[in-house]
Amino acid sequence: MASNISGNAYALTVLSPIKEGFTSDEKSYADTVRDRLQGWNFEENSPMALVPQTYLCRYFVLDDVYTESQPGAGAIDTFVDWLPVVPDKLRHCYWPNQDHLKSRYLVFSCNFHGGPKGDLDGYLINMWNAIGDRIKEVWGYCYGFDGVDNADKFIAYIKKCQREATLFFVGSNDDPLEEQLKALYLKQEFSKFAVANQGLDAATVRANFKEFIQSVAPTNLTAPTWVPGGYRVDKLVKRG
Amino acid sequence: MTNKLDLLDIQGNVLRAYGRFGYPVARYVFLNVRNSAEGRKFVGAISQRVTTAVEWGNGPNQKEQPPWAVNIAFTYQGLKDLGVPRASLVGFSPEFASGMKERRDILGDNGSSSPENWDPIWQGNRETREQDVHIFISLDGLSGRGAEWLSVAEKNREEAYQWLLGEVDKTKGGVVILPGHIGDNGAKLDYQDVRVVLDKEGRPTPKEHFGYTDGISDPVFEGVPYDTNRVKGRGKQLVGGKWGPLATGEFLLGHVDEAMEYPHAPEPVLLARNGTYMVYRKLHENVGSFERYLEEQGSKFPGGKELLAAKFVGRWRDTGVPLVKAPDAESNAKFAAQIEAYNQAISEARKKGDEDAVKANEQAIDDILSDFTYENDMSGGKCPFSSHIRRINPRGSLEMIHEDGDAPGSLKLSKGAFNTPSALSDRRRLLRRGLPYGEVKDRSRDDGSHGIVIMMLNADINRQFEFVQQQWINYGNDFKAGNDKEIILGNHSADEKFPSKAVIQVDPNSDEAPFLLSNIPRFVETRGGEYFFIPSITALNWIARGVVDPT
Repeated sequence: MASNISGNAYALTVLSPIKEGFTSDEKSYADTVRDRLQGWNFEENSPMALVPQTYLCRYFVLDDVYTESQPGAGAIDTFVDWLPVVPDKLRHCYWPNQDHLKSRYLVFSCNFHGGPKGDLDGYLINMWNAIGDRIKEVWGYCYGFDGVDNADKFIAYIKKCQREATLFFVGSNDDPLEEQLKALYLKQEFSKFAVANQGLDAATVRANFKEFIQSVAPTNLTAPTWVPGGYRVDKLVKRG
Repeated sequence: MTNKLDLLDIQGNVLRAYGRFGYPVARYVFLNVRNSAEGRKFVGAISQRVTTAVEWGNGPNQKEQPPWAVNIAFTYQGLKDLGVPRASLVGFSPEFASGMKERRDILGDNGSSSPENWDPIWQGNRETREQDVHIFISLDGLSGRGAEWLSVAEKNREEAYQWLLGEVDKTKGGVVILPGHIGDNGAKLDYQDVRVVLDKEGRPTPKEHFGYTDGISDPVFEGVPYDTNRVKGRGKQLVGGKWGPLATGEFLLGHVDEAMEYPHAPEPVLLARNGTYMVYRKLHENVGSFERYLEEQGSKFPGGKELLAAKFVGRWRDTGVPLVKAPDAESNAKFAAQIEAYNQAISEARKKGDEDAVKANEQAIDDILSDFTYENDMSGGKCPFSSHIRRINPRGSLEMIHEDGDAPGSLKLSKGAFNTPSALSDRRRLLRRGLPYGEVKDRSRDDGSHGIVIMMLNADINRQFEFVQQQWINYGNDFKAGNDKEIILGNHSADEKFPSKAVIQVDPNSDEAPFLLSNIPRFVETRGGEYFFIPSITALNWIARGVVDPT
């Protein structure tokens, strides 16, 4: 699926059918999955923030597809409408059937840094190792997930459910995540530096800049930097 | 064929900013309907005196200018309590039904601008049935001549107010005036008075309290007979340096808009047609903070204090000349001399009674102030991206791109991406009405009662006013300015953890460094407001008679 790769970015779209049936408290499995995903919103951060190289991802439960509506008035329809000899019954026979899904689906859609070859296996191994328990929490009610208890089986399962994806998240370039987070951190810190040093004489600015470079350590990608998935301004920066 | 508007069906304040037509004072009164039938009778009585958009003068189809203008508008609650049927009410926009207070997160009315700090009338609105603002009435007083210009205007306004009180009395409590507008020394008044700012000699000026000339670039749209010469810089920017009037439907319901569609409006058509929505906002100006900040930053800014003041807004405070035309003090002085010469010519022509010469010279001044584009300033080196006029009316400046090989930090006009240069701005325009209120007694202090009452008119509050407020005033992404806010109106944070900043750009080909404004305090605070509907004369009569029928 070459269309899944754009530069170093990989677009993963997974549709996993959710089993029919319900829990002991009369909640369908699909609704249970949705509830659990909703619960992630109330945690300190999304479990997906722990999965390395995740640019952006989204989970949702797909209940059914939408029917576009009755066919519009194309040239032939209009022509048929003019012919009073065509009885309504006959016309109705040619209305398309509505499409419906056979089951409800857990949809997982994700953009990550996969390198030029699109290392899906590597990403999924890291995902399993980082949040294996949380994966079971949401995928546990899906068909074919029973018995998935290690990274290899998870990779095989995801590949079975994978669909072709062609659209990418544009809010990110395709550098490794830690490079992007460090760049954003540096940009923010540098604007503060610029504000604080505006109008000072060259020697002072030079001295301050030396100090600034030491404190922000541009080549050190682990710290200080922004934490992945951080959205609370006061908890955004990870110090060394 | 051009759209010929039915001026007799449109309320006068929609097409005219009264301040520009000789009305230097106004009083805004807000009422609560306690009894529907009495309320409708009251609306009927007011509608007899409502000022239309008819042309003023002695010619055919013209009418003498009235000594006081009266206009009326309604909130959603007001329309409901006056008996407009549910099937019509549901056709009004959701943000109009919700009201300004509920939209505070979108508008950025937080901290010192949050509803807890609004005037009592606006705090009480939409809390209990008895405190709801239902009806807005504006009374504008016509200026006298010579030394008595102001006293005559105030006398006219007072006469209008006495007339209004008489009409309220006749309702025997069916309609009451809502109190709670904060005036001087915390006084709670029954009305909001506004007046042009006076100079030291007590003469009227077009300034607001920070010293800027206000309301120069009010939009011009199709069908307004008295705006045909004002289209340059106020209409929409077309290819080849041309200008055209904006589509009527951007400002009046029932007319085709810039998307060649009729704006969303309630049923029946005649309830909405020739009406519009009005956003009323009372904005306090923190004059002390402004003066201190300007002084402090102006002492560091390479171009000095007055140029920095001009950078905040995009126009020079003394002349009103835009920075894209006069990027430095020297060129501003040249324009000042030109304007002075035109003004001389105007007063001489007045003495001779040469009206054509008056008009020609007024037009020349107007061209200096209004007729410009950002095509020679796409990188913001003259007029910064976060300045007031560039944010409120970006003209063609949003269609900017940076390509490989361009000088760092430089932007240029993207050609061919859109039909016209101002395509990204044309659906975000706002008619601006209103005047300053209060007097600044001590320029070192923020407190006191002084600011601007602004009324913004548009066909779609969400697409026009709320978008501009949220995206262009309180955020900067569309201007490639990150989260920098508009310098004057932005809801700058008082929290030291989130200091507000803005960048004063420089010419990317020069050796100058951009100037960074840091820790910008909040210069302007919201003190209340609401969303209103200004009906046409036809709709007003229907509301008064209780015969609005959507079936």
